[in-house]
Amino acid sequence: MANPFRLPMAPRTIRNLFSKPSTRRYPYEIRPRFEGARGTIKFDVETCNYCMLCARRCPAAAITVSREERYWAIEHLTCIGCNVCVEVCNKNSLSMSTDSKSVHTHAEVGPQGQRPGHEEWHGPDPVIAAPAAAKV
Amino acid sequence: MKRTIIPFGPQHPVLPEPIVLDLLLEDEKVVDAIPTIGYIHRGLEAMVDRVEFTEMGFVVERICGICSFMHGMGYCLAIESIMNVEVPDRARWLRIIWAEISRIQSHLLWLGLGADAFGFENLFMHCWRMREEILDIFEKTTGGRIIHSVNRIGGVRRDVSDSELIAIVAKLDELGKAFDKTAKVFASDASIRHRLSGVGVLSMANARAVDAVGPMARASGVRMDTRLTGQNLYDQLEFEPVLETAGDCLARVVVRMREVRQSIDLVHQMVAKMPKGDGLPIETKVRGMPSGETFTRLEQPRGEVVYYVKANGTKYLERFRARTPTFANIPAMIKLVKGCDLADVPNIILTIDPCISCTER
Repeated sequence: MANPFRLPMAPRTIRNLFSKPSTRRYPYEIRPRFEGARGTIKFDVETCNYCMLCARRCPAAAITVSREERYWAIEHLTCIGCNVCVEVCNKNSLSMSTDSKSVHTHAEVGPQGQRPGHEEWHGPDPVIAAPAAAKV
Repeated sequence: MKRTIIPFGPQHPVLPEPIVLDLLLEDEKVVDAIPTIGYIHRGLEAMVDRVEFTEMGFVVERICGICSFMHGMGYCLAIESIMNVEVPDRARWLRIIWAEISRIQSHLLWLGLGADAFGFENLFMHCWRMREEILDIFEKTTGGRIIHSVNRIGGVRRDVSDSELIAIVAKLDELGKAFDKTAKVFASDASIRHRLSGVGVLSMANARAVDAVGPMARASGVRMDTRLTGQNLYDQLEFEPVLETAGDCLARVVVRMREVRQSIDLVHQMVAKMPKGDGLPIETKVRGMPSGETFTRLEQPRGEVVYYVKANGTKYLERFRARTPTFANIPAMIKLVKGCDLADVPNIILTIDPCISCTER
């Protein structure tokens, strides 16, 4: 039978009553994310050449790209933040920011039924834009 | 005597994940226990015919949130052995460093859960505070706290600088000192001893008979550890598995506590022995499709895990299977539960460190 008066946790328990808490008071005190932590995908529409490599390699099929329509879209809630698209991008159009994913509600369903967390970009159409620039 | 059946689970305060045990009782003694699994079966193994083998690594990692790194590593090792890929040395060392750190993380998590199960909430919080520091190491080095996504067929996706590795070792040393104080509580507190000592004894012969794996077997004195095979560079390290002979719940706690210390020592050795320098290769380009079949074994925090991969030369694998340690330990758990008191059932179930997500995949 173990000695019931042996309480090795007692000193620390008493110390805990007077020491600073180990937890943070979250909304008032936010720990910055570490550098290199994977968070949200950021897209640069200016440099993208719509090669569709990111969409093909995405394991979660979160990226939709259309070369003809110059359209690039991501479902942030489907994205698993694996960083594969950033690694395969030849044009460095994609980057991984450390911000954690934002919260979405059902109220954010888009007019065409886009899911919450849907983000899309439309690039300039090079076929029409190039001759117009040449005339001027 | 009149018998009663008590359904234990799927929702029970001590169970982190759903499993059902139908306990057949005579008075307060458990006569029989019938396990039912399948509450969180997700069919991840069957996804191989829809997910390309290069992307399957991300799926395999999601089998379980606690041993996610080792699952990803085991899958990559299996594919690499089929395709005869030579993985750069630094990547191999980095993999086992992360693997040992994830073992520390898993054991700290379990020690906390165990403390919570036998009603020691204060200790639970101390264990989880220490685990948080390990998760910080993971977030710094791999980019993710739980799902690391850092293994790739042919190597790893991120390098860790030498200065950062030294910082990690220093941090683990600090953690080890804090852990020793907590370990003293686990080993000597009267209420813990009273609750765990002599409860759920699995003899060495029984452990061999039911094929227990991991800390469960080692607590019964069975010298079994996949790391002893020397694969994955463990042959270059001084390593001797932690053994206890009592085989009761307390011995299983002690084995895991000593393994935390051991893993810290192993990380020390690994950082000392790995090739140093910036710009060393961390991955090999892999071309072509796998063809053939293979088994890979790894020592996870909970015991031996076996991966079976069969590939047919296309980008989709034909079969993938993971035999996880908890699945192997369930017969041992049933054996222990039979004949114990109803009040000891939670402790016995928890001390096998059940990971139901792994078991059901």
